[in-house]
Amino acid sequence: MSTRRPGSRLATPVPAENGANGQPNSIVLGPNDRLVGQLYIEGDLRVTGTVDGTLEATGDIEIAGAGKVNGDVTAYNRLTVGSDASLIAGDVRVARLTVQDGATFSGKVSMGKPARKAEPKAPEPQPQPQVEPVVEPVVAEAAVVAAREPTKKGKRR
Amino acid sequence: MDVQEAVAEGQASVDNGEVKRDGRKQFSMGPGDILEGKLIYDGSVHADGRVEGEVRVTGNIDVATGANVKALLEGANVSLKGQVEGMVTARDKLTLGKNARLSGDIQVRRLQIDDGATLNGHVRMGDFEHQASGQ
Repeated sequence: MSTRRPGSRLATPVPAENGANGQPNSIVLGPNDRLVGQLYIEGDLRVTGTVDGTLEATGDIEIAGAGKVNGDVTAYNRLTVGSDASLIAGDVRVARLTVQDGATFSGKVSMGKPARKAEPKAPEPQPQPQVEPVVEPVVAEAAVVAAREPTKKGKRR
Repeated sequence: MDVQEAVAEGQASVDNGEVKRDGRKQFSMGPGDILEGKLIYDGSVHADGRVEGEVRVTGNIDVATGANVKALLEGANVSLKGQVEGMVTARDKLTLGKNARLSGDIQVRRLQIDDGATLNGHVRMGDFEHQASGQ
């Protein structure tokens, strides 16, 4: 009890460390694993099982072995589809793509650097403070003008 | 002309003025060559230089590294190493080399994309016996 932690048998104690140590996360779906739904992961993903749904990873996605993915795939870095693997997608958005001979692959492929959501130096905070002060005075003035106009323009006769 | 002679000396045999490779005719272009229009060819095509229009062949299509192609391409095995804009049909296999840049929809039976290649387009994979054989 005291020497062996309950979780020590787990092969991948990774998720809790995501981002905390600055190390990328990594998920492996084995041949008997199945995912239905949506997965967003800040790190890498390796699929040798079956996925019905949408996958998005900030790192690499590898569909290997007899892995099968049905759904949209977004990999901010590299997508690899192995020779026995299958990807039937609507949209595939990746920076780099490798498809091995023998793979089953279909979908709309868009390559190039996608706009990363997780960029540390995102310039987004700057526009927001600028926009808000501009909007408010305009609304206030408009309200004032709107309030004054009926009194001045009471020309309905 | 010089390019064809070079190919003939290197790896092909000249038979009645036709460049042949592996027993099939080959239409071989050099880096300075330009092809505009529609080419339907019973053999294989090595595309280099600039190609615009439509190329349908019974054999293979090979687009060289420095080539600039804006054309519909259809062949048995299609290998792209250069820049291609247009729809590509490979009755057997399409290979995108590491320097390939393809913008266009593709229809293939088999597909290989090497790391470094760029692809923007819709991929359809499957068997299609009839539509491609009509040239």
